[in-house]
Amino acid sequence: MQCDDLRDDVLDVLYGEASAETERRVAEHHAGCAPCRDELTALRRLRRDLTAWRVPSGLRPALKPRVHPVRRLAAAAAVLLALGALAFARPMQRTVLAFATPAARSLMVEQETRHRRELESLRADLERSAAQRERALLTRVEAMVRESEARQSMLVQARLGEFGQVMDAQRQYDLAQVSAGLTYLDGKSGLQAARTAELMGHLLVASQKK
Amino acid sequence: MRATDEQLVEAFQNGDASAFDTLLGRWDVKIRGAIYRLVGPNEDVRDLCQETFLKAYRGLGGFKKEARFSSWLYQIAVNACRDRQRRRRGRTLVSLDELDPSDVRLLAVSALEVVEGRDLSRLVAAAVEALPAEQREVVVLKEYEGLTFLEIADALDLPISTVKTRLYRGLGQLRQRLERQGIRAATPIAAPMP
Repeated sequence: MQCDDLRDDVLDVLYGEASAETERRVAEHHAGCAPCRDELTALRRLRRDLTAWRVPSGLRPALKPRVHPVRRLAAAAAVLLALGALAFARPMQRTVLAFATPAARSLMVEQETRHRRELESLRADLERSAAQRERALLTRVEAMVRESEARQSMLVQARLGEFGQVMDAQRQYDLAQVSAGLTYLDGKSGLQAARTAELMGHLLVASQKK
Repeated sequence: MRATDEQLVEAFQNGDASAFDTLLGRWDVKIRGAIYRLVGPNEDVRDLCQETFLKAYRGLGGFKKEARFSSWLYQIAVNACRDRQRRRRGRTLVSLDELDPSDVRLLAVSALEVVEGRDLSRLVAAAVEALPAEQREVVVLKEYEGLTFLEIADALDLPISTVKTRLYRGLGQLRQRLERQGIRAATPIAAPMP
């Protein structure tokens, strides 16, 4: 018998669904076919390994991946559209609720409550994020204004400093000029006086000779 | 004496609405587990579970007792999962045959975790998640939900032989994947039948 012909029977044996006849047929084949025997052993080991995967006790993931803001807005738009549709669907839903068993009713009510909660949370998120964006923008503008004012003030201080230095230099230059002029005048007047005195002396001598 | 599922279905169909409550309590945890394993951790399992039971509630009146209630319920759950995954965009299911053995990104397990952690649970979860949907469904229903081949055939509306072929291929791929991760020493795997 070909190994492949027994494949379905091997699965029955593996999962304990084989009849006595199938068990015997597989055992007979395995007695003379090492690869098939090994494969069944490997499949049994695999089944043991597979039991390692446990379902977490709280099935709901604790953290959902963060949604891109644009997608979030798109989702919010979709939710608003769905709300509109809900408004039309409500009469039908009430009819279904009226005929539902307590379990089904509680399922539906729970589902609706959850959807409403998610809607509220989405709406709050949107408002919060808009307010946050506004606050962040305001803070940024304020900081920019403060930076600009500081820059202007530094510029004015620098310019005043430069102006002061120029004025000082100019003043010192002018003072030096004045001082030089006065000295020149002093010198000039002293010389003039000396000449005048000398002339007067000559005139005096000349008048005495006459 | 504990009523069977079929007796509860009959009671419900005869007007005993509380029978549905009993069925719900009996199957809620199992269906949640199955849905979690079918769609993975990124879907809203609770939502899909509620959807499954709502559909069951609406359809239970017309349920014919040709199949077992459990198969029928799993069928609804599997269909809900299929619909949800069909609606999801940007997700591509990749067969393990197409995977690069060195590529562990698709398994959502870092190489460091593979080397250091040997986190068998996560490796198994990732390997099952990487299976093509049709194999994953059969593996989950058989391995984790413990359905018989006949029940799976009913739930998926397939012949038993197809169920077994898918299971065999799925187990083969899981073996290969786990052996690549060093979980077990490699043993020869018989080539799957066409």
